Amino acid sequence: MEKPIIELKGINHTFTLSQGQKVKVLRDINLNLFPGEIVSILGPSGSGKSTCLRIITGLLKPTTGRVIVNGHKLEGPNSTASMVFQSFALLPWLTVFENVALGIEPLALPEEELRRRARKAIDLVGLEGFEEAYPKELSGGMKQRVGIARALVMERPVLCLDEPFSALDVLTAENLRKEVLNLWLSQKTVTNTLVLVTHNVLEAASLGKRILVMGTNPGHIRVSIKNDLPYPRDERSSGFRNLVENIHDVITEAINPETPEWVPPALAASAIEALPPVPINEVIGLVEFLQTQGGRADSFALAQTLAKDFGHILFLAKAAELLDFIDTPRHNIVLTELGRRFNAGDVNVRKRLVHEALRQLKLAQLLEERLRGAENYTVSLVSAVEAVHEWLPNENPNAIIDTLIQWGRYGELFGYNDDTKEIYLDLGQEHA
Amino acid sequence: MYSYVPVSLDRKFALSDVLVLAAVIIGLYYFIDFARQGGAAFHAETPISLSLMALPKYSIYSLIRAAIAYLMSLGFTLVYGYFAAKSRSAERVMLPLLDIGQSIPVLGFMPGLVLGLIAIFPHSNFGMELACILLIFTGQVWNMTFSFYASIKAVPTDLYEMGNVIGLSWVKKFIKIELPYSAIGLAWNSLMSMAGGWFFLTTCESFNLGDRPFRLPGLGSYMALAIEKNDTRAQIAAVVAMCLVILFADFVIWRPIIAWTRKFRLEDLQEEVADIPFVTMLLRESTLVPRALEFFRFFRRFFQRPGRMRSIKPSPLVRAMNVKLPVSVGTGARGRKRRRLQIKDVLPKLGTGAAIVIVFWGFTRLWELVRPLQGHDWMLILRGTGYTLVRVVLALVMASIWAVPFGIWVGRSPRLTRVFQPIVQLAASFPAPMLYPLVMGLFIRFGMGLPIGSTFLMLLGVQWYVLFNVLAGAISISKELKDSMDLIQVGRSALWKKLYLPSVFPALVTGWITAAGGAWNASIVAEYVKYGNKTIVAPGLGSLISEATAAGNYPLLGGCLMVMVATVVGINRTLWRRVQKFAETRYRFER
Repeated sequence: MEKPIIELKGINHTFTLSQGQKVKVLRDINLNLFPGEIVSILGPSGSGKSTCLRIITGLLKPTTGRVIVNGHKLEGPNSTASMVFQSFALLPWLTVFENVALGIEPLALPEEELRRRARKAIDLVGLEGFEEAYPKELSGGMKQRVGIARALVMERPVLCLDEPFSALDVLTAENLRKEVLNLWLSQKTVTNTLVLVTHNVLEAASLGKRILVMGTNPGHIRVSIKNDLPYPRDERSSGFRNLVENIHDVITEAINPETPEWVPPALAASAIEALPPVPINEVIGLVEFLQTQGGRADSFALAQTLAKDFGHILFLAKAAELLDFIDTPRHNIVLTELGRRFNAGDVNVRKRLVHEALRQLKLAQLLEERLRGAENYTVSLVSAVEAVHEWLPNENPNAIIDTLIQWGRYGELFGYNDDTKEIYLDLGQEHA
Repeated sequence: MYSYVPVSLDRKFALSDVLVLAAVIIGLYYFIDFARQGGAAFHAETPISLSLMALPKYSIYSLIRAAIAYLMSLGFTLVYGYFAAKSRSAERVMLPLLDIGQSIPVLGFMPGLVLGLIAIFPHSNFGMELACILLIFTGQVWNMTFSFYASIKAVPTDLYEMGNVIGLSWVKKFIKIELPYSAIGLAWNSLMSMAGGWFFLTTCESFNLGDRPFRLPGLGSYMALAIEKNDTRAQIAAVVAMCLVILFADFVIWRPIIAWTRKFRLEDLQEEVADIPFVTMLLRESTLVPRALEFFRFFRRFFQRPGRMRSIKPSPLVRAMNVKLPVSVGTGARGRKRRRLQIKDVLPKLGTGAAIVIVFWGFTRLWELVRPLQGHDWMLILRGTGYTLVRVVLALVMASIWAVPFGIWVGRSPRLTRVFQPIVQLAASFPAPMLYPLVMGLFIRFGMGLPIGSTFLMLLGVQWYVLFNVLAGAISISKELKDSMDLIQVGRSALWKKLYLPSVFPALVTGWITAAGGAWNASIVAEYVKYGNKTIVAPGLGSLISEATAAGNYPLLGGCLMVMVATVVGINRTLWRRVQKFAETRYRFER
């Protein structure tokens, strides 16, 4: 077996939030990148996949663990890797040519050589004729081509792509994805190892020779799926469809485990489940939509029908399941009796149902207790965030509180005053 | 569901109540005291005591003057800015007038205001007090008005269309849309304006017109006397008192106000939990505020006329005719709108007309005033302009040399930014002229004359504008761009040349424009410095203005002012406007 070009060994990473709480974003990441492969890193938001990429490129120093590049421990930026950014990261005051040439500026090449290499990179991405244009004159897809050319001109073996197509419209993204693949297949460049971070299952499957599926809380590699389908891959072929099915199962299992890990009954009662970071109105939208589908749907088909990211649909499903409005046998989603009652009810009935469901949730119960113990049933946002951090040390407490407030407002359980930055208990339902 | 649980009113008085109450009582006491001395018999030269015990009283007097001047500025801003933004024809006259007003240094307003108001109130100090407040006003008002005008111009059309669909009157639109939209800019510019008002405090409270000395009790006069008496202890005490006044205003007034305006942000930026200023906390804790609000609400309800539906009701005539008209909100609103439109149309036209007449009249008066000036007088003025121009340019260059790298260095690190930003803000608010005598001492020790030294005196005041803007620009440099530069491993110099400097350039230009305007204005005190009982003068336009005012040579003063306004406005309209446009199109990020 070939020697890996980049190795991640026992990487853990922790961020410190502005209020000083520490949130663990990566846990025990071990990963070898081999020359000539394309690795897709797939995961929902919050799984630390972008953080992973920044550690590979040396932009971020991991809290613990080592990055080994060609046998040597990495210190500072990784000079075997270049990167393409989601937001393109072009300098608006430089022309296309100057932006690309910037990539090799530190090499201090003779003028002639610099021009030749920059021109070659510009040709490779099909931007000839646009050398003198400024980024603001280009469309999103063209801008990203400049971003890719700037990475290619550096002639580094590894290219990291951080959600490179997600700021583009669907057709442009598809087209650019094919071109990136063709570039890699043609072997016209020394850049032959690609690391693609994405949340799009089809993208990961159509490019990756290896697909790493990441899980959350904290981010970790759940499964590595080998993908030996020949390039270019036909998305309608049975092999490809099986692969996608397989990936879906893994993600579903990650977000919404069919058989939860076994916990002692004593602990099970006290287990606190985090809320998926989704708006309540989208959860309601899903529950309503299920009704139109006869109360039952396949989650992947649903993602395609609604043109939503698969992971996002699963988060919505998990949220609806927490409220007991649906059940999720495998990757099917089925409306429950309560869900049907919810759909039939008017807005007041719905609010009452959400109110009752929230009061069954351990996390909401804890917050309610805290509020009942406070003066005026009110606590400051800061102390609520701290409390959530205590209850769920591995989650981003700000996101959890945002979701809690939002759901709580709908269910008239919690209220929030943005002027005073305080959360209070909504006593409306109690007196009603 | 969104109702806010109010603080329960049955709570007993607490420490916070005592603090708020004490603040109100002390404020009232000093305000009455201030009003009493303002109404006292006319006394051109109030005796000033250099005792430290007297300093708090003087500081509070100056603060009250600045506060009254600020309220006037706010009133002027709301009216002037509104009409300038609302009417095309008014805009054409009002905007250049604003430009001219901004470039007239405070001494330009002095003779007219002081002599005129004393003539109107010959028997009390009220005229002088008012003149002083108006002089401070001329140091505050301009950038607030510019900001408000620009904000109203920038209100998204969506919001106006919403207002029209609902049928809001222009008053309602002003209160519900335009005012909240401008709140943030207005709050920040108020803070800057306050600093602009302090800048000439010494000049405004204590000055000579011809051979007549004028002096009002206040911190500025205290400083002037301390300089005259060569009392270093008193000078330092005055500087410390000024710092405390600025800190007090920042802490008690501006921080709570700026925190409050955060709620008017239009975009839903995910903001980290911001600190709540201490005073906001105090007011929130205290039950006095809700009590007072309750009280006012009661009165408002009492006086509120019944029936918001009034305008939809058919008129008595229609009812008398017993005709059933399809009375809809739409027609009601439209009818109302037509009636208001007339007022709205006529007012700016009248204002524009009046402004044109006043400008024309002003020009003829000015022309009459400067007619006695001889050829060699004009030569003197032009040569002085040349000297001052060189100093202004040098001050900008020197400010940029240190403030640009320092601002970028600080702005790139969140930790340093947290430490330095409030310090820079306070330093920028401190009136540099108060430090001039202390700095003069250094110049004399090192044998540097004022012709060169006055450049440094200008620098002392204006460098903060450059630093402040560069800092703001550096903070907003995108993380991904910095990441991409790091990966390319561009060297330090390329990082600055390609990323940092271009990124902060638009902000730097704004800083330059503000600083250049400030430097021209500052020349009247930087080229003409009182040191002990001597007056040290450097040749230049600023010292000419100061000398002309002190000697009561009004034709020369008029000529100098004309040239200064023409120079400043001319440079703004030609050079700066072009540079700014270039910076905005080339060096601005799209998102």
